[in-house]
Amino acid sequence: MKTILKCLAVAGLLAPFVAKAQMPNDAIYMGKKQLCVAGMYGYSSWNQYWENTLKRENFNIGTHTTQSIMVMPAYGISNRVNVILSLPYVWTSTSAGNLMGQHGIQDLSAWLKLKMVKAGGFSLNAIVGGSVPIGNYVPSFLPMSIGLQCRTFTGRLLASYKEPKTGLYLTAHGSYGWRSNIKIDQNSYQADDRVYNTDQVRVPNTYDAAVRLGVLRKGWQTEVWAERSSCLSGDNIRRNDMPFPTNNMQATTVGWYGKVQPRNIGVNARVGYVVDGMNVGQSTSYMVGLLYQINFNK
Amino acid sequence: MKNTYKILAIGSLIAGLSVSIISCDKSISEPQRVGYTPANVDEKAGSWKTYVLTSPTDVTVAAPKATSSAEYQAELTDLKSKSASLTQEQQEAVVYWGAGAVYRWNEIARELAARYNIPPASTPDGKYPVPDAANPLADPKFPFANPPYAARALAYLSVAQYDALVAAWNYKYQFKRSAPSKVDATVRVALPTSTIPTYPSEDAVVAAASYVVLKAMFPGEVPFLDAKLAEHQNSRLWAGMNVQSDLTAGADLGNQVAAKVMARAKTDGMSAANNQALTAGMIEVAKAQGLTEVWVSQESPLRPPMLPNYGAVTPWNFDAATKVKLRPGPPPALNSAEFTKALDELKEINKNQTREQARIANYWADGAGTYTPPGHWLRTAANAASEAKYSEVRMARTLALVGTSLMDAGICCWDTKYYYYYPRPQQFGVKTSVGLPNFPSYTSGHSTFSAAAATVLGSIFPDRANEFWAQAQEASNSRIYGMIHYRFDCTVGLECGKNIGTYAVNRGKADGSGL
Repeated sequence: MKTILKCLAVAGLLAPFVAKAQMPNDAIYMGKKQLCVAGMYGYSSWNQYWENTLKRENFNIGTHTTQSIMVMPAYGISNRVNVILSLPYVWTSTSAGNLMGQHGIQDLSAWLKLKMVKAGGFSLNAIVGGSVPIGNYVPSFLPMSIGLQCRTFTGRLLASYKEPKTGLYLTAHGSYGWRSNIKIDQNSYQADDRVYNTDQVRVPNTYDAAVRLGVLRKGWQTEVWAERSSCLSGDNIRRNDMPFPTNNMQATTVGWYGKVQPRNIGVNARVGYVVDGMNVGQSTSYMVGLLYQINFNK
Repeated sequence: MKNTYKILAIGSLIAGLSVSIISCDKSISEPQRVGYTPANVDEKAGSWKTYVLTSPTDVTVAAPKATSSAEYQAELTDLKSKSASLTQEQQEAVVYWGAGAVYRWNEIARELAARYNIPPASTPDGKYPVPDAANPLADPKFPFANPPYAARALAYLSVAQYDALVAAWNYKYQFKRSAPSKVDATVRVALPTSTIPTYPSEDAVVAAASYVVLKAMFPGEVPFLDAKLAEHQNSRLWAGMNVQSDLTAGADLGNQVAAKVMARAKTDGMSAANNQALTAGMIEVAKAQGLTEVWVSQESPLRPPMLPNYGAVTPWNFDAATKVKLRPGPPPALNSAEFTKALDELKEINKNQTREQARIANYWADGAGTYTPPGHWLRTAANAASEAKYSEVRMARTLALVGTSLMDAGICCWDTKYYYYYPRPQQFGVKTSVGLPNFPSYTSGHSTFSAAAATVLGSIFPDRANEFWAQAQEASNSRIYGMIHYRFDCTVGLECGKNIGTYAVNRGKADGSGL
């Protein structure tokens, strides 16, 4: 379930944690021919989840944990066009019960970020992203699966205003995420209160919206953020049943993000907490990353 | 400024591209079944041996009006008006039900089994409430359609359909009233026709018999079943296939047979299948045989084992004494080398499960929220019979042979499981990639069910016997790959299932069908 939340956190695009690192959700750009490579570790866990709207615990799961490591390069094609890639390795576990943890390489994501309009401290940015599964992991063994095996495509509009003197900024974005159908190992499954006699599964599309308030100065950044991510359709976890890729997963998450990068080496960190949701775990997540910047202009 | 335009152009190009991808079709294709003219009308099926009826004349059907009568002619006029032009919805209903009455009602039953196959949640005080038949839609819903429950529901459904169709065939060929479109060529038919007499209607027979059984098995689904029943009956009028008196007589016959079949269900021992008071004695028996560590629920809070007395339910194709003879010998002692080897195999899979092992484990898992292994095998059986263009009565015979054998397999396997009360691999630190059933390990239910079904199917479709057996073998292995059964649970279960299936095969050979 956590996996799902992860997916949702970035509208099914990037691995979740990563998404906040440098990022497809800010108005910060790498300069032309600048490359920043981030290596990140993420840890996310929950011991309660929403079964449909019912908040519950599960003694046969205990605390569910998802961890990931990911490499995420961002490159400045120009000062106003950046490309960002990411590829995570993910593993899951539980503290109770007997469900076997899953592990493996998840999905490769790519984002293209365009500064369409810039006027003073204001900018309007178009961001598109896509992802494809790389690992042949099992998508239907939720909440242990590390991903959903969807191909995704996300379109995002992001507006930002930064006060030039103080570096105080306010950013808001909204996205629409398309997710492909998937194939599962079973040739029959239940969804939408009926039995489908096929291995094809329709995974709902998503949207997300977020606001961020922070300060960006030379060498450091700190921000608080709130994000709402949700499927546009889907069914609910049945009473006492397991989650499934067709579920309408929804989450409202709040958190903090910070970065210190005085020179070409830096670190970043992110904390998130799900305050409300449906068909997802109420996770608390942490991410820390190491950033390394290379200038190809010379 | 020029640069801005360029960027805007790239932006809109990407936006346009994304719209085209987003509008991508996300529809799902499911295998479609369509109606056919049966390869054989099975004219003599009225004399085939039934399960619960002693003879087709246990039930009565009034003689039909002659096709020349004013009553019949009035029915024809009515039929022509109903079948003359159909709405989209009516056409879809005709095509859906045209795939076959037995076929569709079996599919409906599997769907209900899946919807009700969820173990009850525990309450805050650590108890598991027992589903209440008198209050089926409360939490937990009644029934919990686990594999033994589903096996039984599907067996009774198929037996009721089969007995009712044998009786129907008897009366069809006694009265020999032709199909409306053969009486009057101007009747517009929307489905393939055959020479099978249509009084009483086999569709109405199957619909009524199925409705009665499923209403008893899934009492919370009466409105759903009412709608299916009405649509099925109406679809025969819309398709121009039956006049109203064909349907009325068929429904009456189906109801009579189903009442007799459900009388057997009421006294087959299922009401005592969840007698948890018996487990203490079962554990004593297992310990007396030398078992040092008995099965314990691995759920928290501890869940009472699934239907510990299901092994005492009355089988279909043999008696209780034979059941005891079919019970396999004891599993290896927990301190034996054989046990250690089997456990080590699971530990190795736990460490290095391959993707192919996971796929097989998932494909056959048929766990919570699915139609269970009996449902899986009946789907296979119904598809095979449909592909062979079986008549309704021969389709019902196929599913009854498979379905009763699956229930027999469930009974024998549950008897074995609680006789030996053998611990699951999870009691020795092994995890699972498919979810752990809440009952003792030895023998494997999947293996027993699958071998029984594959043996029966292999007898009915000899050309496909190897294919079915390979499937049973894979289903059996899937429980090792999912790490919830030792290999000996599976090999012994497979062997026992084959023996169980043989009883249904022998019954089929002696049922007068000559098949």
